This record gives sequence, C-alpha cells and structure tokens, in this order.
Amino acid sequence: MRMLFCLVFFLCCAGPVLASDSVGTVKTMTGTTMVERQGELLGLTVGMSVYADDRLITKANSSLGLILKDDTTLTLGPESEMQVREFIFEPKENRFSMVLKMLKGSFLYMSGVIGKLAPESIKLETPDSTIAVRGTRLLIKVDI
Amino acid sequence: MAAAPVFMFIVFTVGVLLGSGHESQVILLPDPDGSVGVVEVSTDAGRAVLSEAGQMTKVGGLAAAPSAPVKVSEAQIEQEFSSLFTAEPPQPDKFLLYFEQNSTQLTAESKQLLPQILDSITARQAYAIGIYGHSDRTGSDEYNLKLSLQRAEAVRDLLSERNVSLQAMDVDSHGEGNPFIPTADGVAEPRNRRVEVIVR
Repeated sequence: MRMLFCLVFFLCCAGPVLASDSVGTVKTMTGTTMVERQGELLGLTVGMSVYADDRLITKANSSLGLILKDDTTLTLGPESEMQVREFIFEPKENRFSMVLKMLKGSFLYMSGVIGKLAPESIKLETPDSTIAVRGTRLLIKVDI
Repeated sequence: MAAAPVFMFIVFTVGVLLGSGHESQVILLPDPDGSVGVVEVSTDAGRAVLSEAGQMTKVGGLAAAPSAPVKVSEAQIEQEFSSLFTAEPPQPDKFLLYFEQNSTQLTAESKQLLPQILDSITARQAYAIGIYGHSDRTGSDEYNLKLSLQRAEAVRDLLSERNVSLQAMDVDSHGEGNPFIPTADGVAEPRNRRVEVIVR
C-alpha cells in the first residue's frame, strides 16, 4: 500500500515537470494582459514564455500576440481568454498536437509547421463548436 | 387546439436549457501567399465547411448546426478586426544553412548568411530563436539525428561567438521528420540536410 502511495506521489510530482517545456513566446502586447498558471495570475510582458495549460487573458483595449514553437502565430483581441489545452511539437518522434480553447473574445490564427505536417492534430475549440483547420489563416470571435 | 401553447412552452424551455448564450463566428482568410485553406466547424448538430476567402459561419450553441457559409467583405473584416491585424506578430524569419558532406562545417555560401541572421535578430528585437538540424531519409536514423544535432550546435556556437544573447535559444534535431522537400524513405535529398534558424 505504501508503495502505491509512493508511486502516486511520484507520478503527481512528475506531471508538472514533464509539462514544463515552453510552447511559445509573447511577441507583441498592448494594454493589460495576464496568464493564469497553476492557480496564480501573472502579468505578461513581451518575451515571456507560454506553457501548456496556461490560460491567457486580455483586458479592455488590450491585445496579445504569440509565436508558438512550430511558428503558429496567435493574436488575442481585447477582453479575450484562451487556454492552451495541449501542445506537442516533436517532429523527430512524429508526435504533434495542438488543442486551443477560445473561451471568449476575438482571435486571429495563422498555421505553422504542425498545420503543414499534421493538420489533423490541430483542434481549435470554442464553447460550442470544434474547428478543424487545414493549413490556413482564420478569425474566430466568441461572444458570451 | 390546446396543444399549441404547450408546444411553444417546450420549445422555449429547451431553448433556454440548451442555448449556452454563446455565439461564435469563424471567418476564413487567405494565407499571406494568397492561397486559401479549408476550415471545418462542427457542433453536435452539424458542420459547416469554409473554403473561400471571406466565408463566415455562425454558431449559436452546441445543439444548433453552424449556419451556412456567407461571404463577408474585406472592408467589413478590416473594420471589425483591425485591432487584431495591428497586434499580429510578424511571421518568423527563416534561414536555411547547408554543410559540407558528413561535416559540421558550413558551406561558404551559408557562412555568408550569418550576418543576415544577426541583422534579423536586431531588427525584430527577437527574444527567441530556434536552431533545428534536419536530415534526409538516407542512412541510419541514429546517425542522422546525431549529425543534425551536432550541426545545430555548431550554428549555436557560431552565433554565440558573435555575442548573440537571447532569452531562449532552442537547439534541437528534427531528424527526417520535418523535411524541406518531402521524399520517400531512402531517397538522398541534399536540400533536406540543413539547419534551419528561425528568428521569432
């Protein structure tokens, strides 16, 4: 039993460590933007890294532009929220996945290398729909 | 006769319960090179396919199918989403570097690209660059991964010597998994044996 607890404890600790690779960088920013990361709210600045599970938030009259590791660019308009649900870019293992949840606001998405190599592994979600993308550029707006 | 009000009541209730209050819009735009991709928007009740620039579909809840695509004018898109276009990061700059055979020595031509990479880092005020080694599909995977990683590291060292200091210098090997020119296995393709420097 104790062994089992140890194993569970170990797996719980290993999770966040494995997920700690940066998935992209903040490239442009105006106004007030922040990230909710592991229950904490942090202000964002240009050059900061973005991680899987981050929830990115922009306030009124604000914007945020990201470049992800596969060269996807993502722009958030004012009063927007987006969660990076999953991001895997490992060409040498042929492993790709990008799942982004657009919770509210407006977004400009431009495909990168994953869109070229494995478009079927890209999923953009809004509260009420799923968007499959085959190598392209699009606008998404979510009103709540 | 009494059935009509009951029916309306049910529709109203179902509408309130299932309607999430959300409304989403998806608009397909042309890529910077002018080509146009394909987007498929799905809910539990149906799907819409966008395949022409400026096509838009609306979604009003999971229980409703996305609307049939309609065309939105460029002027209207520009007006409604101008703040997004202003904030959009520029596409990363990409440089392809080539090497002498089985070596980590840059070709003379590729060596001349190094100043351009430095200029791009300065001009873009880049915080992050990626240096990725790639191979073609000949030889053993193990050898290809090792050589392409060594080449990426050689480029990193050349840039470091020139005092490039960045918050994030991502050095990796993509092996044969991200070819410049896709080929069948076993095919020699010198253009795929490269290091890509991506200035973000």
